[in-house]
Amino acid sequence: MVAIFVLLAMLLKLPIGISLAFSALAGSLLGGEGIGLRHLVEGSFGYFDTILIIVTAMIFMNVLQASGILDTITSILLRTFYKKKFALLLSVMALIMFPGMITGSSTAAVLTTGALVAPVLMKMGLPKVKTGALIAMGGILGMIAPPVNILVMIMGGGVDMPYVGLTLPLLIIVIPLAIVISLWLGYRDIKIIEYEKMKAILPPSYSKKYGFRLYLPLIVVLVLMLGQSVLPRIMPDIGIPAIFLLGSLIGLGCGRPFNFFKTTQKAMQQSIPISCILVGVGMFIQIMTLTGARGWIVISFLSLPSLLLYLGIATSMPLFGAVSAFGSASILGVPFILALIDKNAIITSSALSAVAGLGDLMPPTALAGIFAAQVVGEANYFKVLRHCLMPALFQLVMGVAVLHFAPFIDKLI
Amino acid sequence: MRNIKGNFISALLLLFAIAICFLSTLKFLSMQKKEAIFPSRGLTSRKMLSSYFPGLKKTWGDTDVYLYEGQEKGGNLLILGGAHANEPAGFITAVLLIENIQVSTGKIIIVPRANNSGFTHSQPQEGNPQRYSLESPWGRRHFRHGSRLTNPVHQWPDPSIYINPAGQKLSGADSRNLNRCYPGRKTGSLTEKIASGIMELIKKEKIDLALDLHEAAPEYPVINAIVFHENSADLAALTLMELQIEGFDFRLEASPTNLRGLSHREWGDHAQIMAILLESANASHGRLKGKTSPALIVEGKDKNYMKAAKLGLLFVPYGEDGIPLKLRVARHLAAVKSILSNLEELYPEKRIEIKNMPSSSELKKVGIGPFLNPPN
Repeated sequence: MVAIFVLLAMLLKLPIGISLAFSALAGSLLGGEGIGLRHLVEGSFGYFDTILIIVTAMIFMNVLQASGILDTITSILLRTFYKKKFALLLSVMALIMFPGMITGSSTAAVLTTGALVAPVLMKMGLPKVKTGALIAMGGILGMIAPPVNILVMIMGGGVDMPYVGLTLPLLIIVIPLAIVISLWLGYRDIKIIEYEKMKAILPPSYSKKYGFRLYLPLIVVLVLMLGQSVLPRIMPDIGIPAIFLLGSLIGLGCGRPFNFFKTTQKAMQQSIPISCILVGVGMFIQIMTLTGARGWIVISFLSLPSLLLYLGIATSMPLFGAVSAFGSASILGVPFILALIDKNAIITSSALSAVAGLGDLMPPTALAGIFAAQVVGEANYFKVLRHCLMPALFQLVMGVAVLHFAPFIDKLI
Repeated sequence: MRNIKGNFISALLLLFAIAICFLSTLKFLSMQKKEAIFPSRGLTSRKMLSSYFPGLKKTWGDTDVYLYEGQEKGGNLLILGGAHANEPAGFITAVLLIENIQVSTGKIIIVPRANNSGFTHSQPQEGNPQRYSLESPWGRRHFRHGSRLTNPVHQWPDPSIYINPAGQKLSGADSRNLNRCYPGRKTGSLTEKIASGIMELIKKEKIDLALDLHEAAPEYPVINAIVFHENSADLAALTLMELQIEGFDFRLEASPTNLRGLSHREWGDHAQIMAILLESANASHGRLKGKTSPALIVEGKDKNYMKAAKLGLLFVPYGEDGIPLKLRVARHLAAVKSILSNLEELYPEKRIEIKNMPSSSELKKVGIGPFLNPPN
């Protein structure tokens, strides 16, 4: 299946989603399952919710842009931080991480606060590919930071570990990484600028013209998202896609007038390629499971001698993230926790989530990388991923180190 | 000309997509058809779960409840199968009991498809078959192999994080997992309503003891296990000893007090009854499984699991013979029988007497089929 995918995607240059779908079909035929229509269709629904989030988030992002909200917030952030390099980088990193911390999704972080800070960083001198890398890494760190780490919840569900006592181990992993990665990616390029220079690059602000209502779409989206975690019994849970759609509709009357139909059309054009990839990945993984290829991969990694187990974790979990980071946590994370059963499962799962989270940088899905590239306007997301390489390595080393020193950390906390 | 050609290709692709949708829809909808169960003559009445909680009426959460009442008063037992529709040993054990038993003392209530909605779909990316079949003297009987979760067509969307009625924070998909939703919410999601319905049944039928029948992957630590609420600690301990004497290797697991929303915890805490969950080992359920097929579900043989056993990665012995469904069901039946005999020993006033209980040793020899009833 992998060989057919490479042939179709690399040599015949077919779109990645189509290549995945055809290689899944070929896998089904070669595996003796016939066309496997039910499996192909069922697999394609594996990422249905994710696709809805992507489409609606993209509409929301385009509405923020078209209504002038994005320009206004960039203007405010620039006025506040144009002289403070260190504070800018750390605040920006915290801001990007925030939606990820609350929703447990790197996509939510990249497409909301990531989109807000991108113009600021670029105007302060950070090249767009590095801006994209900072946003992608911020999204991933937000995804693994407490209070909500869905990767750990998934792994915990597989070993009956309640989601309690994780804040400290997760912070031990995330805080040093957030500081190091934001400085690594931004400190050299971000320029402290004079007031006049800052004024020259300042985008128009619509704050005075539209007042408070300009921020309403953003406030509604944040309140509905945060409310589900903070006040779960009071706040209605309408689902992330509906939240983004509601925010987009509110944005229609809150700022600069724009053509809603054309804006949504543009958002659909931007989101169809990634949706197509996710449909293809869903089919691919379903057929891999059906034919036994998935089980074979898992058992092969688990068969590694104990010395090579860390290497297996460090390679297989991010690689499997090409399917999905959540899939990696479920399919590989649970067996790895069990293989390391002699260590504290809370620390083990925290460390494994840091490793699995990197899956959101793994092509062809590379959700964090693809969206960060779109947010900064870079057509080739591999250029963004290239700058994520070192930060990802830091994160990988941190994850494996915490795994190795789990007994020591256990005593400390 | 180019435009016409383009439109023609688009129209063809559209037709192709419609044809795929139509054919696959038929396949998916076929899962909504319930497999027949042919109750024994001992059945005293049959109800729907909605008769205990009307909020479930006309929903996919409503499900059959089979009642077997003895002439003499005794204890009241609830047996739940199919809380997870991809764990066939629980469901088939419930079916075998429904199709065979007669109760002379006490009352037994059996819910074979606790999460009825879970039986109407299969889990994307698990590659499972929709059905498996068992040979019986009356011909092949087909059974649906559903999903661990409620059908998203019946309950959607999942929240990002699910905070269950007992206050436990879980991943969003667990909002559709019946065994994470106890004690339920009457005005909550469909799955929470099902949990509420079961709690109502426990209260209205004055249940003394409830058993929740499950399966888990062989690499899962809580396996071949009797998970007990502290209310049923003595009963579980005596049962373990008896089963070990009979040659069944079980382990005892106390229900964790900080893992909320599960049957063995919330039934005990909220209804103050004795609550026990039984787990058997199913290779088709695991992350290491090889090629998926109905045979894997029924015969339970898998090369990957044999390899994993050799590597010491499993919590159960797993040899060339695998762990077939007949053995998994026999284990559940042996546990149910032992629990009932020890219930009588500990609490004579709660005695439950059953006739025609399928024998686990016989089942291991001849398989499940001979214990299935002929179609009515």
